[in-house]
Amino acid sequence: MVEQLLNALTLAGLLFLVSAGLSLVFGILRVVNFAHGVFYMLGAYLGFTTVALSGAFWPALVVVPLVVGTLGTLIESSTLRFIYRRPPLYQLLLTFGLALILEEGIRILYGPTAKGIDPPAYLEGAVRLGSLQYPRYRLFVVALGLVVAAAVWLFLRKTRAGLVIRAVAQNSEMADCLGADVARVRTLVFGAACALAGLGGVAAAPMTTAYLGMGIGVIVDAFVVVVIGGLGSIGGSMAGSLIVGAAQTWGAFYLPETAMVIMYAVMGAILIFRPWGLFGEPE
Amino acid sequence: MRRRDFLTMAAVGGVGAGLGVPGLLRRATAATPIKIGMPAALSGGYAQYGIQAKRAAELFTKDITAKGGVLGRPVEFLYEDTAGDPATAVRKAQKLVEKDGVKFLTGIALSSEALAVSAKCPEWKVIFMSTINGAGALTAKAWNRYFFRVNTSGPMGARAISLYLAEGPMKRFFALGSDYAWGRDSVASFTTQITAAKKEIVGTDYPPVGTKDFASYIAKIRQSRADGVYLALPGQDATIYLKQAHQFGLNREVKPIMEILELENMKAVGDAMVGAIGSSRYPFTVDTPRNRDFVKRFHDLHGLYPDMFDGETYEGLEWLAQVIQKAGTDDVEKVIDTWEDSSYEGLEGPFFMRKCDHQAVQPGFAVEAVKDPKYPHPVPKILATYPGEKVTPKCRTEDFS
Repeated sequence: MVEQLLNALTLAGLLFLVSAGLSLVFGILRVVNFAHGVFYMLGAYLGFTTVALSGAFWPALVVVPLVVGTLGTLIESSTLRFIYRRPPLYQLLLTFGLALILEEGIRILYGPTAKGIDPPAYLEGAVRLGSLQYPRYRLFVVALGLVVAAAVWLFLRKTRAGLVIRAVAQNSEMADCLGADVARVRTLVFGAACALAGLGGVAAAPMTTAYLGMGIGVIVDAFVVVVIGGLGSIGGSMAGSLIVGAAQTWGAFYLPETAMVIMYAVMGAILIFRPWGLFGEPE
Repeated sequence: MRRRDFLTMAAVGGVGAGLGVPGLLRRATAATPIKIGMPAALSGGYAQYGIQAKRAAELFTKDITAKGGVLGRPVEFLYEDTAGDPATAVRKAQKLVEKDGVKFLTGIALSSEALAVSAKCPEWKVIFMSTINGAGALTAKAWNRYFFRVNTSGPMGARAISLYLAEGPMKRFFALGSDYAWGRDSVASFTTQITAAKKEIVGTDYPPVGTKDFASYIAKIRQSRADGVYLALPGQDATIYLKQAHQFGLNREVKPIMEILELENMKAVGDAMVGAIGSSRYPFTVDTPRNRDFVKRFHDLHGLYPDMFDGETYEGLEWLAQVIQKAGTDDVEKVIDTWEDSSYEGLEGPFFMRKCDHQAVQPGFAVEAVKDPKYPHPVPKILATYPGEKVTPKCRTEDFS
């Protein structure tokens, strides 16, 4: 029981890092970013490179989010910025195209073989918790997820920058009139979202290796998370991640034949009874 | 944008993701070449399999060109990317047949794709040569005259490792197979055979393809107190399982037994993989003169050691070329007649194409992942070799006598 709880929290931690950015980008930019999963994958691959170059795991946790975040701001200011006023279909095509370009770029650079990263030596192996043996690294991922979730929440609620971001999310034109630099907020939020996804990729890599297709795999789950939690809501991303993490973990344990169905059934129920999501606001 | 737009777009995007990227890899045409179509998974999560088929085709092209081609004609490969999706595979195969006029299809990665494409071949009147696909059904209830399987099938792999385990000390097994044709087939086959050897199956599970977190399954396997866990998981899923089971400390308690022990896994998982056993469709460490020479040529061209489907695909292509040469034509019906009941000296031993279900009878291997200072990653060490008659099922079935 404790073990399944920890498993659910591990998965929820990774899902939060991805879905928080997806949700933020939608809240601020009103763009559904299909390329978001690829930034997660890019994070994992860059994590592999950083670990290989530096010989240590920790630098990757800092360097990779910075690199992926910077790349995100560049992509936003060179492509997305020009199509905010166009119909949503343009944004879909653009982000989907970006996803394909980045994914194939990674394949050409790194080849088709998955790249394994080893966790740092003191996070290797399992620790005894009573009768239970649990990998140290997974406990670290749980902690990382909690710390980042708390930090993002505090940032948005308690800082001036967070206030501006929330104002832009609520009404970008009004925020613009009141002197907020909306274009800059959008660029930075997009970059921050990419950085979070990149961090998620680094954190996932020791558990799953860095592999082609990991972006597509995670983006589907992340969409389910934001639909359940509510678009544009960080609290919703946290709740959604926990629900999806729990559904997948317990589902696989107790009802393996229907593990995937459970997750989508929850999403279906939410769409029927509360279509704006648990923490979203009705339009 | 409103929420409804978001949902519509999510749905559209999902469909788009399934379509994949078109492969644009063409070679210049010479006079009336023999065209071989490869609707292979060249992008996406199963790209490693498509790329193995492509690497083998590249070496084969080089070798056959040096020999002056087949029937004096050059061999041309046409690649299309299926991204591992059955519907796309059928569409791309149809394009290769109807637009490009290929008479031979090969290089298809997943059994789900293979089942979909094979069903169309009698209508298209083209040969589909499997060099990768494991699902037993392809040469049993789903078989047709236009399908040939050069590679070892899933049930054959399960047979080889079962024969090995039957004599070993392990008694209790857990079976974990990916939730699609090949995974389920292999688990069923393993269960039948290991039970016949008076061993016990203490649990079975079918995780979905693309599972990212095996923690729940690992907990169940540990609780089952099995001695070994039989794994029929495709490439990346196996890598993730082995990595996570290692972190949970499970590999020491429950020995991993792989339906296919691949180099891809060994490269990605590294030393945590050492000690895993399994069957191999083609272990590149087989010590035959033909194979030593092949491994060297392959390494010279690609700078790496051949994985299972590099070897199996190369063998398939070489055999097909010999059959066309012997038939004196690339006419599909005549090639089929010539291929049936013919023999071929493969890289790892003798092959025989039996007429009744077009399954190639060939040696089976039980192997173990070991460290060898000569190589940059763990490599398969051969534990036992079984002759073709012992590891090939009865005609058009998945059963063994």
